[in-house]
Amino acid sequence: MTRGERRKFWTGLAFVSPWVVGFLVFGLYPIVMAAYYSFCNYNVLQDAQFVGLINYQEMLEDDVLWKALYNTLFYAIFSVPLGLIVALLFAVLLNRPIFGRSIFRMLFYVPSIVPLVAIAMIWLWVFNGDVGLLNYALSLIGIDGPNWLADPAWTKPTLILSAIWMVGGAMVLFLAGLQDVPRSLYESAELDGAGAAKQFWHITVPMVSPVIYFNLIMGIIYSIQELVRPYIMLPDGGPDRSGLFFAVYLYQTAFRDLRMGYASAMAMLMFFIILLLTWAVTKLIQSRIYYEGA
Amino acid sequence: MPRFGFQATRLILMIVICGVFITPLLWMVSTSLKPLDQTMQMPPRWLPYEWQATIDGQLVAVDLKDSEAVVKAGGPIKVEVAEGPSKGEPHTLDASQLQRKIAPQWGNYKEAVHEMREFPRYLRNSLILCTLTVIGTVLSCSIVAYGFSRVEWKGRNTLFLVVLATMMIPFPVTMVPLYGLFRELGFIGSLKPLWVPTFFGTAFNIFLLRQFFMTIPRDLSEAARIDGCSEFMIFIKIILPLAKPAVTVVALFQFLYAWNDFLGPLIYLTDQKDFTLALGLQFFQSQQGGTQWHYLMAASALVLLPVLLLFFFTQRTFIEGVSMSGLKA
Amino acid sequence: MLSCDNRVQDTTDDGRVIVRYWEKWTDFEYDAMRAVVDDFNKSQQRIYVEMTQISEPDRKLILATAGGNPPDVAGLWSYNVSSFAEKGALTPLSNRLDAVGINKGQYIPALWDICSHRGEVWALPSTPSTLALHWNRRLFREAGFDPDTPPTSLTQLDEMAEQLTIVEIKRDNETVRVRYTELTDSEKAAKDFRIIQLGFSPHEPGWWKQAWGYWFGADLWDGDRTIEADSPENIEAFEWIAGYTEKYGVKNMLSFGESFGNFSSPQNPFLDERVAMEIQGVWMYNFIEKFSPNLDWAAAPFPSAYPDKLPNVTIVECDVLVIPTGARHPDEAFEFICYVNSQKPMEKLCLGHRKFSAFIEYSDGFVENHPNPFIDVFIELAKSPNGKTTPRTPIWESYEDELIVAADRVYRHIATPRDALAYAQNRSAKAMARNLRVWDATAEARKKEWADQ
Repeated sequence: MTRGERRKFWTGLAFVSPWVVGFLVFGLYPIVMAAYYSFCNYNVLQDAQFVGLINYQEMLEDDVLWKALYNTLFYAIFSVPLGLIVALLFAVLLNRPIFGRSIFRMLFYVPSIVPLVAIAMIWLWVFNGDVGLLNYALSLIGIDGPNWLADPAWTKPTLILSAIWMVGGAMVLFLAGLQDVPRSLYESAELDGAGAAKQFWHITVPMVSPVIYFNLIMGIIYSIQELVRPYIMLPDGGPDRSGLFFAVYLYQTAFRDLRMGYASAMAMLMFFIILLLTWAVTKLIQSRIYYEGA
Repeated sequence: MPRFGFQATRLILMIVICGVFITPLLWMVSTSLKPLDQTMQMPPRWLPYEWQATIDGQLVAVDLKDSEAVVKAGGPIKVEVAEGPSKGEPHTLDASQLQRKIAPQWGNYKEAVHEMREFPRYLRNSLILCTLTVIGTVLSCSIVAYGFSRVEWKGRNTLFLVVLATMMIPFPVTMVPLYGLFRELGFIGSLKPLWVPTFFGTAFNIFLLRQFFMTIPRDLSEAARIDGCSEFMIFIKIILPLAKPAVTVVALFQFLYAWNDFLGPLIYLTDQKDFTLALGLQFFQSQQGGTQWHYLMAASALVLLPVLLLFFFTQRTFIEGVSMSGLKA
Repeated sequence: MLSCDNRVQDTTDDGRVIVRYWEKWTDFEYDAMRAVVDDFNKSQQRIYVEMTQISEPDRKLILATAGGNPPDVAGLWSYNVSSFAEKGALTPLSNRLDAVGINKGQYIPALWDICSHRGEVWALPSTPSTLALHWNRRLFREAGFDPDTPPTSLTQLDEMAEQLTIVEIKRDNETVRVRYTELTDSEKAAKDFRIIQLGFSPHEPGWWKQAWGYWFGADLWDGDRTIEADSPENIEAFEWIAGYTEKYGVKNMLSFGESFGNFSSPQNPFLDERVAMEIQGVWMYNFIEKFSPNLDWAAAPFPSAYPDKLPNVTIVECDVLVIPTGARHPDEAFEFICYVNSQKPMEKLCLGHRKFSAFIEYSDGFVENHPNPFIDVFIELAKSPNGKTTPRTPIWESYEDELIVAADRVYRHIATPRDALAYAQNRSAKAMARNLRVWDATAEARKKEWADQ
């Protein structure tokens, strides 16, 4: 490095130093410690004791853990794609000028910024099996609605349905992406006689594919660690633990049972699953993503 | 003509979908203004009401002693006067003498605040937390983002990839060791674990600000450098004023995050006096056993209201901010 | 910089040591403790107890203790004692108790027992409770029963419950309300009705649905190292639970349950006379007074499946006061606990809670002047040899979770009693083995550590 370069290096580093310190203390240290605790018997009140692989062995035999993982993945597999589709459709509907567009956009977006606690509370009420609004609406069209959160078969669908309500953020991102698609593409497609569906598949989807990818990855990461809504709507996991989510089980293991070693092992598993899914999704669709100028 | 038909269909579709989207919120407000028995009514009515009858030539509110079904059937109905000096007086009336009047129970809000006991404290804590974290985030993130965008240095881009990667670390993974760390620091049982880390920057906001800083022409900095300004002075005097819209977005995001955060307070705040509104709301619910729906919805509405107001007044900035966060790097 | 930091103050302005006390109750129970705390503060020159109401106290206390910032005294439930003690979250009291001369002889024996774990005493009772059958005398009369003769066996209770149940059913296109016993056999089999009033449900209020085994002679564990979730007695109890949804229909029972209001409200199904018989604690009297003062009710021991062999079965529990590990003023905290555990304050507190006292001896007139007309039923139950206490094992919380899940699965006919309990047994036995592995390795060191405190 020349002297100027060296000076710039130190200047740059000085500017980013708050983050570096923060990362070391609140990012890297906890991850390393979580990995270490996962091999320990640890309850915060007493010193951690190294016990080798025992926590991981126990995880293999813990069917509640596998059930929680199944519930979470089930939720992710349905809620993430469903959320993407809904968000993209809304964005497409809103993309062209329409009367009251900014109001519509605002109304879609509002649910994604209100406190999750309040949202969970509202859903508990709307999905009430006896006097809930949803079952009343269903009864109007002749459907005898289920007991939603009190019925093991319906707890996960309830959480999936209520998640779709919060697609506003993804929708706004899609909308921004759509605005960048040149009008000329659609015009020439129209000249070629391509219908709306064809235009959607061959122009819209490829053009916003980077946003799809971004939303997909974020959706996966967030749904695997979803904690607040299931915790409030089904604090003990719901009937037959059908709505027990992985992160909720982890939280309870750590902060109710104080089995922090075991919870750390679960945390490692969660981290691994997120990395694995992110990698797999990237591998799977990377070649299909269209980057401008690439 | 078909174009117009298409437009109209689209508009109707949008209105229907939006209606569905907004219904839960309206339902919350509606429930929050009802007396308890009306919250449980099937079929539900959207508008809260009370019964009124003309007794001795005076229109007064009455309590229904028979069920609503009796009113529908039209038979003689037992009622009790619900207000005024003759309160509690029983009467038997004909259905035609009764009328429904819209009567929102604003008192539910007062009651909900009262039932939450520490509502003013929760509110104060939430505001303290929002203020501190907004200050912390704006300060740290803008400085760090400057280092990642306006200064050329070796290793900058590699390190920035690390910043982006940290966005993928799930909180549940780090929460156990963080708890131990904050315990060692003596932070548990205070608001500190929730605001101190914001003074060290958060990946998402650093990313947002960096995106914005990159769009500012380089020449501006160069000119200042030639004038002998230090990097820090350039940051303060030139870049920061220009980046006002982006900084506003970051401040807004952080405010919302702190206001809405539930998990952090759930873990770190042990004393009821330190609770934030989001946590207070959940404790209110768990205490209630969750069936006094009119109070619960009123409390939820109160927690939600500041967010909605903030959003309505800043929505343009907001949506632009979200759009900016899409990966265009 | 901010008033919210460094708020932990050790002394009042006039120099008294502040003891921070976390109280778990709200409402009238809070007020009763408040009065006792005020008395204590008035009697003191040296100590000032600062009382705060905390919800979900078990969760909050474990977090605060683990976080190194606990209060000096906290109110918990007796079933928390073992697990909190084993986790190292409580201060052992045995030595201190010896020093001031508080001993088992003064207390109702079961209550002292539930405050100890692994040979140490960890807590002292504040207010005790037992459970009994509460029934609605008006509904009994309506159903043609003698309102003063409760069922004396579970079989009899089941039969009476049928007569006390009213359902709404469509007959010839007309909706009619009839008693369950008036249904035809085919109507009973079809279960196509809506429950309007229910004689009894093992899931209402549902707070002890995991513990019905006690009324069949089960103990849930061997008292030491073995979990007994799948004992024949417990399986029988769970078959009895399943019998209720078998009889009245799973969906009907669940829908009826969804319509219940808050426990502490006039919409409580027992208080608004939609459930005729219920298992409830000594505190129920209070809620009746408050929300449904005209309710015509009575209480008696809840009958067991084998009344001859197993009379007077109940669950004995109590609220307890503990000193968390790391409390800043354990000595002052202990002084306060001792104050609550002297006869007059104890009786004042328990009377405020409308409960009986934890002590064997009462002052004159305590029972006679007690507002609850059935208080002697509850006292007698507390002294009964069949007064059960929850298993004093540190894994009870997770064991209880398993039993609750099993009870729900059985109630909903998701699993047979045998399968559901075999599953609960398997998981809980594993948890027990895990706990014992750690305990056996550290027992000596920990016992020594406790003895030194």
